[in-house]
Parts: sequence; structure tokens; C-alpha cells
Amino acid sequence: MPPPRTRDSRHHDRDHRDRSHRAAREEEEEARERWDWNRPETRRLFEEAFFREEDSIRQSSEERHKFWAFFERLQRFQNIKASRKEEEEEKGPGLAKPPIPALADLPRTYDPRYRINLSVLGPDVWGSRGSDRPDRRLPPDKVAEFRKALLHFLDFGQKQAFGRLAKLQRERAALPIAQYGHRILQTLREHQVVVVAGDTGCGKSTQVPQYLLAAGFSHVACTQPRRIACISLAKRVSFESLSQYGSRVGYQIRFESTRSAATKIVFLTVGLLLRQIQREPGLPQYQVLIVDEVHERHLHNDFLLGVLRRLLPARPDLKVILMSATINISLFSSYFSGAPVVQVPGRLFPITVVYQPQEAESLAAASKSEKLDPRPFLRVLEAIDHKYPPEERGDLLVFLSGMAEIGAVLEAAQAYAAHTQRWVVLPLHSALSVADQDKVFDVAPPGVRKCILSTNIAETSVTIDGIRFVVDSGKVKEMSYDPQAKLQRLQEFWISQASAEQRKGRAGRTGPGVCFRLYAESDYDAFAPYPVPEIRRVALDALVLQMKSMSVGDPRTFPFIEPPPPASLETAILYLQDQGALDGSEALTPIGSLLAQLPVDVVIGKMLILGCVFRLAEPVLTVAAALSVQSPFTRSAQGSPECAAARRPLESDQGDPFTLFNVFNAWVQVKSERSSNSRKWCRRRGIEEHRLYEMANLRRQFKELLEDHGLLAGVQAATPRDSHSRLQQRRERQALYQLKRQHEEAGGRRRKVLRLQGEADGGSSDEDAEGTATREAGDSVDIQDVKFKLRHNLEQLQAAASSAQDLTRDQLSLLKLVLGRGLYPQLAIPDPFNSGRKDSDQIFHTQAKQGAVVHPTCVFANSPEVLHVQEPEARDKEGSRDDKDKMSSKHQLLTFVSLLETNKPYLVNCVRIPALQSLLLFSRSLDTNGDCSRLVADGWLQLQLVDSESAVRLLAAALRLRARWENALDRQLARQAWRRRDHRDEEEEEEVAESLAHCKDVVALSGELLQFMASKVSYSLRRLTGLETQNLYVGPQTITTAPSLPGLFGSSSLSPHPTKGGYIVTDFLTYNCLTSDSDLYSDCLRTFWTCPHCGLHMPFTPLERMAHENTCPEAPPDGPPGAEDATPEVPQKTSALQRPYHCEACGKDFIFTPTELLRHRRQHM
Amino acid sequence: MACELEHGPPGVFECQLCSLTAPYSYIGQKPPDTESVILLEESYIMKDPFTANKDRFLVLGSRCSLCSRLVCVGPECSLFYSKRFCLPCVQENIDAFPREIQQDLEKRKVPAKKPVNKPRP
Repeated sequence: MPPPRTRDSRHHDRDHRDRSHRAAREEEEEARERWDWNRPETRRLFEEAFFREEDSIRQSSEERHKFWAFFERLQRFQNIKASRKEEEEEKGPGLAKPPIPALADLPRTYDPRYRINLSVLGPDVWGSRGSDRPDRRLPPDKVAEFRKALLHFLDFGQKQAFGRLAKLQRERAALPIAQYGHRILQTLREHQVVVVAGDTGCGKSTQVPQYLLAAGFSHVACTQPRRIACISLAKRVSFESLSQYGSRVGYQIRFESTRSAATKIVFLTVGLLLRQIQREPGLPQYQVLIVDEVHERHLHNDFLLGVLRRLLPARPDLKVILMSATINISLFSSYFSGAPVVQVPGRLFPITVVYQPQEAESLAAASKSEKLDPRPFLRVLEAIDHKYPPEERGDLLVFLSGMAEIGAVLEAAQAYAAHTQRWVVLPLHSALSVADQDKVFDVAPPGVRKCILSTNIAETSVTIDGIRFVVDSGKVKEMSYDPQAKLQRLQEFWISQASAEQRKGRAGRTGPGVCFRLYAESDYDAFAPYPVPEIRRVALDALVLQMKSMSVGDPRTFPFIEPPPPASLETAILYLQDQGALDGSEALTPIGSLLAQLPVDVVIGKMLILGCVFRLAEPVLTVAAALSVQSPFTRSAQGSPECAAARRPLESDQGDPFTLFNVFNAWVQVKSERSSNSRKWCRRRGIEEHRLYEMANLRRQFKELLEDHGLLAGVQAATPRDSHSRLQQRRERQALYQLKRQHEEAGGRRRKVLRLQGEADGGSSDEDAEGTATREAGDSVDIQDVKFKLRHNLEQLQAAASSAQDLTRDQLSLLKLVLGRGLYPQLAIPDPFNSGRKDSDQIFHTQAKQGAVVHPTCVFANSPEVLHVQEPEARDKEGSRDDKDKMSSKHQLLTFVSLLETNKPYLVNCVRIPALQSLLLFSRSLDTNGDCSRLVADGWLQLQLVDSESAVRLLAAALRLRARWENALDRQLARQAWRRRDHRDEEEEEEVAESLAHCKDVVALSGELLQFMASKVSYSLRRLTGLETQNLYVGPQTITTAPSLPGLFGSSSLSPHPTKGGYIVTDFLTYNCLTSDSDLYSDCLRTFWTCPHCGLHMPFTPLERMAHENTCPEAPPDGPPGAEDATPEVPQKTSALQRPYHCEACGKDFIFTPTELLRHRRQHM
Repeated sequence: MACELEHGPPGVFECQLCSLTAPYSYIGQKPPDTESVILLEESYIMKDPFTANKDRFLVLGSRCSLCSRLVCVGPECSLFYSKRFCLPCVQENIDAFPREIQQDLEKRKVPAKKPVNKPRP
């Protein structure tokens, strides 16, 4: 295009004759300049003339840009064509005589315009709108030019869209399953259950739902084991069924739903479907249920199958399709009494299998260093470079057992890649940040292959296109569960034949491939045919709880497709009883039924409920959410001192949950202050922001659940006071929606080309913060941030976060108490010799596992000294260096969220708690000696108190507090149940009064609990040895005279403990059952004692004294170690043992000793 | 089996030559929600499924002006030259069409789609 000339360049000409001629030419030139298509003004005028306000071309800048690009291309093309046409023009023969009259009116001379089946209206056609419009003045030739271009543009758009539609249908028709659609539907008409078995790539997951849709079914649910699959399948199926922008196809996962009334197919997780069944056991909302990936044998899937088998007779109209890989099909078919199977062949290209067993030297090297030998993997890389020219594309996928193994190979492969410049090496595992995971979908530059080092995540969950080579190590690390130790163990196993085939198949998705197996064929033959189903290797607590709440009967007799190990079931039932979720007859308790509604670990659920009792809902919500997601701390940042330094202010030496709590709150503050920087804020601290988003989502879900269940009063969203701020808020939300839409239209993340190692900041494998920054700088919109702000009320979150900063010491201690009780009995005791050890050698013991260590990310890994007993008095007492028999009031225990064994047993997410007080308040079993100075908690931790007096006092206080705590919890649960019912007005009033009373009680209880926790008593703490635990109890005694201890702990007479000996005081406390050298008869020994409250002076056994203290009428109410709500209405002389007493209840006069008096009074209670 | 009535699309378009099927929402020359475009034939139209824009439509096909067969607009089935013609009819009356169209059809025949890699059944 000629550069536009400016008017200034013209200069006056003196030649008059030439002037008019020149003027005309200039005018013409001027017009041409003015209507030059390159001028934005010209473009704008034409746009205004041709496109209406609401036209997509006018509205969307992208459309506009596309049009003008098309326009320019068309003009160039026509210039070329025009010159060529002139030469050809003469030869044109014209049309032959049409044989059919209908063809007679075809245009004689060809023009491409006749091939377009539409026509565009423009200003000249509809031009009745005001004459001052600019379009009136548009030159006609330009209008024609523009219209022609627009026509071609629209026609091009039509052709493009139709092409996509046709391609889509061709591809669908070419899928192996397309031949079977009819048969599947036919079989489903005749049977209630159909098994569709087909291997990867046959198209079952995407096509079967569409066949159902096309056949007229409208309430179809399709379950997936993974959330991510729900989203991607819903997207794909709606695209294929041409309702990408409609709502016929939707998904529903934990935090998100695109489901509406118009939705005909919904993809949802198995867990969610089970919850729907929990609510509506008949599942009335569905006509057809597709259960996908049943062969993967996930816990929930197995359970769902059992539930369905029972449900089907009750719902004869419900159709079920089980979809499976071609693995063990007969198992599923026969489980549903011989359901018919439609088997579909997969679509795989031929794959060559090469067995390359590791040589002995390499195996020896591996076993020596405990580190994986990368050489066999490098040899494959070399072999590929040798055998296949770089122009032949095709990437490599390596299956390794775990992250450590990936790390070992990564290092070596990167060195090789740097040398050859023919590889880009990328790790892939679930602990990577999302951005890093996404990198495996990027493309390598020409002549370079991707080498993806992956865990079994790429076996089924993640599908990467373009893989031609697979290396299979034959190993997998799997979580196994030890029901005895309640320990999760990550162990390396050989894979199953089914997994090996699945891994192999990844090489043949896009073309013929090669699979290198780093083991011998004989190894393969020895593999188990199928992986161990999840139900056989995980803790079943949550499952049993869910089964109980769904009233499916005794879990032991539930008709599972393959039953779980009985020991796991028993452990789970026992555990739930321990946690108070099940009662003695294994029925659901109120707290249990509530826990079953919360889709979290029992431990976390308990924490939430307890938090509500103490008005600590907001902080507990955050902590519970934080403990339910993967750690947000990235691994790569662990070695970085900058990250560590930046994180330090957020660390809490109370324990990891408090650190997470601080991180979340600080993040919310950052978000509400300068939103766009939260990403940077996280990166600087080595925090994976995605996890924080998950926390926010989970927190919200917990909150809604607690509100739904009446545990938390629903708070109305605070509406801004004035209309201005309301408007402001609405505008902000609109802007956010706009951003979200734009992002969605742009199609999200695009594939990028990977960089070779050595270029700029290296390959994308071990990406540092810098790299991520440059990558993300491109898309200026942080879509996560936008979604976050749309989903959450940031103001509310921020209020919660800032109030968290103002948590008082007391509230913090209460929070810790709530955590401790929730996490109980997950306790570990520091080893007595820790204070003399290096930081890295600190060890801890749980009841079942000795020598555990805190996880390296744990705050106590860096500052173990806060766990040591450091009291000067303690050091003076004895010369011993260890804490074993050290007397101190500051012994601590660790309570932890999980115990995970990899190469060592790790305690994950620890909190430190004061030992004595916590054990007194939480223990399921407390055993004492005669004077209560020696206590054994849960049969493994022994506490030796300095003096028996304070021991008795603490014990008595603990008993009282526990009773009141239980009571507060019961009342909270009762109120919760009440709130969910409908109620009358007068009840409402009662409720308010009751609520106020409850509130007061809780405040008083909190105060006393805190005072109790702060009590200073010197004691020693140690773990009992195996021999000691065997000879712990005196055993059943022949003397059966129970001490008369009226009014103590609510039971009027004490019964001897049948196995331990001693006496049962409460369901957790057994008095005087511990063996010892001296005090076998100490329960009979009385010493004189004066009650500080009523002045009563007489000989008491420790137990009697406790009884008196608990019921002393003179004791100040609510003052520990005071009495329960005593009724001091009887004025008494207390100098004598006996005194007159007038009972108001029975109207009689008595002479009573205090104990007799109490016994009498109890009769009236 | 209980079937619910489908909302929206009044019917399903099916090409009588290649049996491409798609639900249409309108038949005529004036696509709904668009003002500036007029179609030169009675067309089967659906909302363009590949865009969120409501005013974008997609012409699926129409009847051949000679044999009235319902055909899709795909180049393997029909062409438009001031009217819609299905390819069989064009072939039959090839001489009645301008040379450009004849050449076009010739070109189309030669590079018949060759399958790149035949997957194993």
C-alpha cells in the first residue's frame, strides 16, 4: 500500500492551465486517500454502515480483526487473479445449451459471487435511516467492494463451521464403538444392566451417553472416578453433540456444577452420586445410570455396585450401563446375575514390545545406593536416537514408580539432553504445580522429542497425545494400609499385567509404537493379572460410616463384589466407636450421623463440630480445609533459602495446622488488598496457589454444610448500606463475569512450544520461579483469581481472616484443644533422648509405631527445641540428660493428622500439646494407682505426678470438665437436630432461652478448660515398655467390697473392673488397677484431710476425697476444682461429722454425715 | 421407556447422500436473530454450535433444485450456483455449468482422500 501523503507536501503551482487538470487529479487522489482501506477511519465508517449495533462483528474486536485480515487477503488474491484473468478472457467458451429448462436461467458468465448462497443487506438497501448518516456519502464502488468481501467472509465462515461439523461426524462414525451403538441400545431395552467392555480409544465414554441422548433418554447420569474426567468429558460430549453452548450436557463435582433443568446428561463423581443416594435412596432423578471405569475398582465404585445391586429390584425402570476396559468382564457380568456384555474392540496401532531386563550390575548398584540407577533408561533414549531419524516425530513416556525415581532419572536424562540437544525432559506427578503438569501437553520444537517421566498418573488419568515410545519400569508405588498400626504405607510393588498392558497401550494411540519393558518376559508372566482393588488396601473408616448412614446393614455381610479384608472392617468399626461415631451396638450416634454428612475424614469432621461448640467456627473451618488438601508448599522451594525466609513470618511454632492457618489468612489479605499480586506472593513463598483456592472452596463447602445442619447459624450476606456501593459491587461482578467469558472464549490455555535446555533459562523441567513468571505474563488475566472472586464473598473471607489475626491467646489455646480432641488418639511422644540429638535425628513414638520422624516440611523439623523439656528445676533434680524421668510441668506430646510411611514413617501435620492435661481430657482409658499419683493413659503412656494431692485435684477436675464438655456437645447436637425441624413460636422462645443458657455454659466451660490446661503440676512422662504393658494391671481381685463413694461421677456404687482389677469409676477411668510394689492396699489407707471449702476434717482415701470435693456444697460454683452446680441452700454447721438436715423434697428431718446427706440428696435428683 | 419431548429443535436434518445428521432449528431464507443476511434458498439452519454468539447461524443444507433431494452443503454432496444442485444432478448435467465449476469438480475427484494410517481393527 502507498504511504498516505500529507496535504503539506503539495505546493502551489503557477501554471494556470495545468491547475484545473491537476486539481481534478488531486481530488481523485484525495478521495482515494480518504477511502483508503488502511485508514482506521474508513474501516470505522464501513463497520458502522454495515454492522448493526448488536452484530457480533461489531461487538467483538476479535471478529473485527478476523474480518479485516480476511479482507486484506481477499484483495491481494483478487489482484493476482485479475491480472491472470485478462489473459484468459478470450478463450472462454460460454455455456453449452442447457438440456433441462430448470438450468436455463443459470448465469451465463461465471462469477464466484453466484456460488454464495446468501446475500448481505447494507446501507444502500436499508438506507432509509437519516440522511446525515455517514454511510450516505460512502462511494458506491467502495460499498460494492466491501459488500463482496463481506459476502465471501460470511461464506467462508459457513464453510469452516460446516467443515467442522462434518469432520466431527466423520470422526464419531470412525470410532470402533460406532458399529455397536445400535446393539448397546437394543440390549439395554431388553435388560436392566448391560456391561460395555472396550479398551482405551474405543470411544465408549464419549459416545454411549450420546447414543442415549439420541435415543431419547433424558435423565442420564454418568459417573467418573475422577473429577477432572467429569469436566473434560462433559466438555467433549457437549461439543460433539453440538450443544457446547447449551446446557443439555453438564457436570457436577464437589465445588462446581453446570447442571440446570435443561440438562439431560450429567457427568458426576462416584462420591457425589453416593451422596445423592444417601439423600434419596431410590435415585428417582435418573433414568439411566452409566458407571464408567468399573474395572479400576475404586473403593466408591465397588460400593456403588453393591448399592445398585440392591436398588435395582426396587427400581425396575432404572437402566444401568457398566463400562469397563476388557479386564475381568465376567466378574461384573456375573455380579449382576449374568448381565449381557457388549464387547467393543479398542483402536490401537500395533505396538512392538521389547523386553530389556536390567542387568545384574545395575540391580546391585540400585540396591546398594537405594537410589534408582538411571542407566537403563538412558540406554533407551540412546537407542531411540540411534534408530529413528529426528524428523520422525514421536515422544517418549517413561513410567516410574515415584517422585524420587523420577528425580533420579530426570537428572541423568537432562544431562544427556543437554549434550544431544534432541530431548526435552519433563517430570509428571501429582505433586507438581498445575502449570508444570500442563507442560507435558506442550509441543517440542522440530527435531526434538519430549521425554516425559511420569508416575502411574499417565496410565489412565492423563492422556498425552503423540507418544510413540513407552518405557515401563514395571514398578508402582502404592498406598497400602496397615489396619493394626493405622498407618498408611507408600510401598513399591510390581505392577499387574493389566497395568502393564495399559502402559504399553499409551504408545499406540496415534500411530504404531514401541514399548520397552525393563523387566523380563518371565517377570511379566509372574505379575498378578489385575491390580489389587482399593477396598483391599485402604482404611475403611469413611466407607463404614457412609454405609451406616445409608442403612445398608452390617458392613460385614454387605454383598461387595469382592469383600474387603475382615480385619480392615473390624478396625474401622472399632475406630468409629473410639471416635464416638458409633455406639456399642454399632449404631450411628448423633455425632456419627452428622459426620457421615461431611465429606471429610472423621477426624476433621469432629474438629468442625467441636469448633462450633466453642464458637470457633471461623478458624476451625480454615484449619479443617487446610488439613484436607495437599500441602500447599512446593517441593522445589524446599531448598531455597529465599522461600524459607519469606515463609518464616507465617510459621507457627504451635504446629503445622497453625502455619497453614496463617498462610491462608495472609493470602486472603493479599487478595483483598492487591488482588493480582497474590500469584506472585505465593510464588515468592514457594506456595502452590492452586491449593489455597482449593482450601477456599472446601472451606466454603464446610461452612455451608455446617449451616445446613444447623450447627452454624447462617449469616445473611451483608448488603452494602447505600445504593452507590451496591452499584459499585454489581459493576465489579459484571466486570469479573466479562473477564471470565472472555477467557472462556479465548479457549483457555494454548499449547506452547517447549524450549530446549540451555536456551534462555533452560528446559521447562526444573522450572524456577522466573520461568513461570515469564510464561504467565502473557495472559494478563488471572482466571483463577476471577473465578475465586466470583465464587466467594471476599469481604466475608477477609473479615474472617483479619479476625483470625486478633485471636486471643485463649482462643488460640481453645483452638488447639479442639484440634487435639479431634485428632486424638493420633499421638506421638518425643523420644527421651531427643534433646541430646541433632535436629535431623529427632524421633517420636506412637502407640503402634516406634521411631517415627516429623515430616521435613513440619515446623518442628527445623525447631525441635520447642518440644524439649527445658525447665531449670528439672535439670537440677537429677543429673540425667534425658527427659525420661524428668519432672516437669511442661511435657508435650505431638498430635498429628496422618502417619505416612515411605522410606521412613513420617508424622504429617503435627501440633504440640501439653501432655498431662491433654491425656486427662482425651484418653479413652485412664488407669490409676491407689493415690492417683501414677496414671497410665490408653495403656501406653505413664505419668508420674509429684504429689498425690494435685493428682487427685486434676483428675477430679478433668472428670468434671469431660462430663460438661460431652454435655455441651450433646446439647449442640440436640439443638442442631431441633433447628432442622419445623417448630412453633413458643418453642422458638424456649429455644432462645435455652440457647442463651447454653451460651453461658459454654463460656464458663471454655474458661475452666483454659485454666485446666494452664495448671502447673510437675510430673514425669514416659512410654511404657512392652514388658510393663503386659504386667500393668493387678487383675481381678478377690476382695469385692467396693468403697462406698456416694455421689462420685454419677454412679452410686463402684463395680470392680473385671479384667484390670480396681474399680470402674467412669467408662474411661479405672481406679487403683495398676500394679505396684507398695500401694496395693492404698485404697484402704486413709489420711486426715481438711476440705478447703467446708472445713470438714476427717480421714479420707484419695477416692473419697475426690468424691467429697466433687460434691462439697460449700465449694464456689464453677471455680475449679470446685463442685458441680451445687445447691447451697442448706446452711450447715460443718465442724461435726453429723448434723441435722431437713430435706425439702421429702419434708423430713435427718441427722446425716456429709456423705450420707449427699447420698440422700441424689435420690431426689 | 419414557421419552421426554425434545425442546428447541423442531427436527433433525439428514443429508440424503452422506446421511450427515444434525438438529435444525429453522427452515427458510431469513435466519432468526440476524437482520443483515438473506439466504438465496430455503435452507435448513441451526445456531452455529461452535460459537457462543447467538446471532451466528449455520446452514446445514437444502433441497436440490432439480431432484428435490435434501442434501447438505458439504462439497461432496452439493454445490451452489445461483441455486442448489446435488452432485449427482450436476454430474448428469455437467455441460450446463460453467467451465470453472467443471474444473472444480475434476479437481475434487483426483485427490481422493487417502487414509494415512489404517488402524488395526
